[in-house]
Amino acid sequence: MTLRDVDVAVIGSGPAGMAAAIKAKETGAENVVIMERAEQLGGLLHQCIHNGFGLLYFKEDLTGPEYAHRFVEKVMDSGVRPLLQTMVVGISPHRDVTAVSSQEGYITFRAKSIVLAMGCRERTRGALNIPGGRPAGIFTAGTAQRLVNVEGFVPGKKVVILGSGDVGMIMARRLTLEGAKVEAVVEILPYVGGLIRNEVQCLHDFNIPLLLEHTVSRIHGEKRVEAVTVARVDKDKNPIAGTGRQIECDTLLLSVGLIPENELSLMAGVELAPITGGPVVDEGRQTSVPGIFAGGNVVHVHDLVDNVSWESELAGQSAAEFIIGGKRAAGRRVNLKPGRNIRYIVPHTVSGEKEVSLYMRVNEPEEDVRLKVGSIMTKTVRAVKPGEMLKLELSQAQLSKLKEGTAEIVVDCEERGDR
Amino acid sequence: MAEVNIICIGCPLGCTATLTIGDGGEVAAITGCECKAGEKYVVEEYKNPVRVLTATVVTQGSPQPLLPVRTAVPIPKAKLLPGMKVLAKTRVKPPVKIGDVVIPNLLDTGIDVASTSDLAI
Amino acid sequence: MSQLETEVFIIGGGVLGMAIARELSRYKVDTTLVEKEVDFGWGSTKANMCIVCQGGDTLEFRKEYHRSRLVWESIPLMEPLCRELDVPFKRVGELSVFFDNEGKAKFQKMKTRAESMGITTHQFIDGDTLRRMEPNINRGAIGALYDPTIAITDPVRLTVALAENARQNGVNLMTGTEVLAISRGAGAFEVQTSRGGIKSRFIVNAAGMFVDKVAAMVNADDFVVFPVRGYVAILDKKVGDLVNHEIHARPEALGEMNIITPTVYGNLIIGTPMKLARRNDFSTTREMAETTLRSVRRLVPDISERDIINSFAGFLMFRNWELGWHECVVGASRNVPRFVNVSIGYPGVSAAPATAKEVVKLLNQEGLKLEENPKFNPYRRAITHFSDLSDEEKRGLITGDARYGHVVCRCETVTEGEVVEAIGRGATTLDGIKFRTRAGMGRCQGGFCTPRIISILARELGIPEEEVTRKGDGSRLLLYKSKQLLETAV
Repeated sequence: MTLRDVDVAVIGSGPAGMAAAIKAKETGAENVVIMERAEQLGGLLHQCIHNGFGLLYFKEDLTGPEYAHRFVEKVMDSGVRPLLQTMVVGISPHRDVTAVSSQEGYITFRAKSIVLAMGCRERTRGALNIPGGRPAGIFTAGTAQRLVNVEGFVPGKKVVILGSGDVGMIMARRLTLEGAKVEAVVEILPYVGGLIRNEVQCLHDFNIPLLLEHTVSRIHGEKRVEAVTVARVDKDKNPIAGTGRQIECDTLLLSVGLIPENELSLMAGVELAPITGGPVVDEGRQTSVPGIFAGGNVVHVHDLVDNVSWESELAGQSAAEFIIGGKRAAGRRVNLKPGRNIRYIVPHTVSGEKEVSLYMRVNEPEEDVRLKVGSIMTKTVRAVKPGEMLKLELSQAQLSKLKEGTAEIVVDCEERGDR
Repeated sequence: MAEVNIICIGCPLGCTATLTIGDGGEVAAITGCECKAGEKYVVEEYKNPVRVLTATVVTQGSPQPLLPVRTAVPIPKAKLLPGMKVLAKTRVKPPVKIGDVVIPNLLDTGIDVASTSDLAI
Repeated sequence: MSQLETEVFIIGGGVLGMAIARELSRYKVDTTLVEKEVDFGWGSTKANMCIVCQGGDTLEFRKEYHRSRLVWESIPLMEPLCRELDVPFKRVGELSVFFDNEGKAKFQKMKTRAESMGITTHQFIDGDTLRRMEPNINRGAIGALYDPTIAITDPVRLTVALAENARQNGVNLMTGTEVLAISRGAGAFEVQTSRGGIKSRFIVNAAGMFVDKVAAMVNADDFVVFPVRGYVAILDKKVGDLVNHEIHARPEALGEMNIITPTVYGNLIIGTPMKLARRNDFSTTREMAETTLRSVRRLVPDISERDIINSFAGFLMFRNWELGWHECVVGASRNVPRFVNVSIGYPGVSAAPATAKEVVKLLNQEGLKLEENPKFNPYRRAITHFSDLSDEEKRGLITGDARYGHVVCRCETVTEGEVVEAIGRGATTLDGIKFRTRAGMGRCQGGFCTPRIISILARELGIPEEEVTRKGDGSRLLLYKSKQLLETAV
């Protein structure tokens, strides 16, 4: 068996993989490869033809393909080697990467460091809990997005969407523009799952009914979807008997959440965090396995691609430094612990030695709150929502306030008593 | 005098602003907005709601069945659906470069529809 | 209407009908099998626990039951059959778990009865041994009755393999062909199907959940069966090592079977509460899921609803619901000569090999001449399963055909080459591909591979993508082309 030596192997060429590879190269790694299963670089950006990308990173309002294009050009100029139609099927803890490729065959790379950038996949569980038949016409929102925006098909003309995640709402607009009728977007929670921008511009703009605290309680049809029953839910999210009404439709889309795609990470022995479903990472985005780094939606699901790029640049930089500087000294590790109304924080640990951005999400929507990072920083925020990721930047000066021997900082989202 | 409600999309707060509209169509008062930036947005959104139209056009002679396109800048919201009818009738042939104009002056808005991706032969 | 003539006409392309077809192909018999679905094994064969059992708990080991005999006679036949047909077969062993001495006593009775039948493979194991064998078993379990002979297989793949082998040996197989009416002519039956008339001297009715309806078409319904609906859920491979054996306990209530078993692919299956139900209502309910989870958690508390990746309902036809499932219908009609009814109920897969032999014998008794087919070839090769190959084999395969280097299903690592092979063997639908290759059976449930497989199906079958179906007529996946709805609205 021939092993091909590479310095940095980046798995996946979406926004995360491209940013990481470019940065790794810029930092000084020689032989950087990106492994991508599709025929072109860019990952899911190609199917996200809507705008809203790059507002922070490029200070421009780009579409997904445009955002991808900017990075693809940089990849090509940087000397990073793209390996297309190459599906990684295994990663060992010793950083051997096995891939299947129609051109190259079944190949194994020995990488000095790895960046995991596989992104996320859609939850399908929503479908299982729905009683009823198993007809054709049930798609996840992302699959429908690929069909509508890339493959050239409209799955049906009367559509119900379960879940108000961003992809679901964006597909509500896309299908409406394509001439389909979106009968309702059904959300089990009392609030919208995605960004408010999408609620307004994808649903309100087209008068698409949004049914909060409702769920699809039954799917009708054996061969093709014929209708769904939509019912109000109680506090435990169970349908309330007698509240159901049937909505005729030929298609049901599921937009019930995204899960970081970490099957390969598990093969490599990377520890995953139970809440995010992604690797436990330090501030340089190194996972629990030395030399294996991760960035973007494989770590935690983002709502803005700009943050994916920035976070993955960190991972790419660290992956290069790992090779150039040799194994990093263990250094100080301070755990970040989610406190009141904080669902998770990425990174999971900080060194306290340099400035760091904390990405987090809350459990419940709340207004007029104060975000408190231990005793080193507070920030007041007008409103927080689970669907909108929070970013807090900690300066070196703030981190220097950390007492020697601190093992843990609790981050809280507190009510502001002064209003 | 009439009242119009507009949701601000500036931040997760999602304020519902109530605009009081004078008989001449002018915005006489705004309540419900928590910040100045929000007030500016809702007035703009009331006077001239605009959106970027992003969609696809069908291709001919390319392995890629669709070409993604956008309006270069936002167009009036009311033109989104009529704009789609124009896109539906359009066919493009490769080669197309990202940024190439696919439909000039969409519905006399003075705004072009441009490709957001390359189209290979 | 054109009149097809055949000697033996088999109705139903499930595991039983197909096992009979393949068994008949050992002889110089002109056999035609019809299946109303577009593929084989999509009825009760599909919604299955995939266990090759002795029928222990359920059959109570009573020799007076015809069904018990068919299951026992099948035991030595199943493994060689799977080997001949290149179908997965794995002996995992069975643990009948008990929580108190009363429970043990019930299994003791069963063991004694089995021994009196000559089945001596059962042994009692204590709690410590049980925990060594199954570390995740409920702490309250004090022991189990262990039967190492119990195995698992893939019933749909077995059916497809039987079909391919039967066809290879001369059986005429017709899918998408529904039997509408049967009449008795002079010395032969006249069968009206959705695809024309067929004349046949003998009929084997293996119509599964419609066995009684088909029999009634010609007044051969000298039996009564009840449709009983079961529920089965499949768990993610990542929890596949929670359980090593097929595990069950005695049901707490009638119909509340609680079974957990590994699959040949590394998933777990849990099931299955059973209830009398309206036929053809395959819908699942919240209650089915809850009952199943509650009862299997008694055995393995770590099993979680979160790990369910798919679930479905299926039907068994029982002779006698109140008494359990002690009897089957395998016999020549008393009213109508040359008409054989076949319905096992449970466990149909386990009983299939001996049932097929018995049906051939019955046909012979009814007058069918059996002359050996010297060209009969019992062997059939499975399509390539890329993920089962060694690294060396994978390398060689891609070098020879680049399509094996194109992974279309990421969860189960299925390649384009395998999908094309499956289409070459007769798959015409998304489900047909799924059951042959496992593409779409993984944790993302087709989210990734569905668009890719639709394109391959369209290309290989030479049809537009919009004509590709999930499971035959009426189940098209993509209803419109891009912009089609806007153009028609103009």
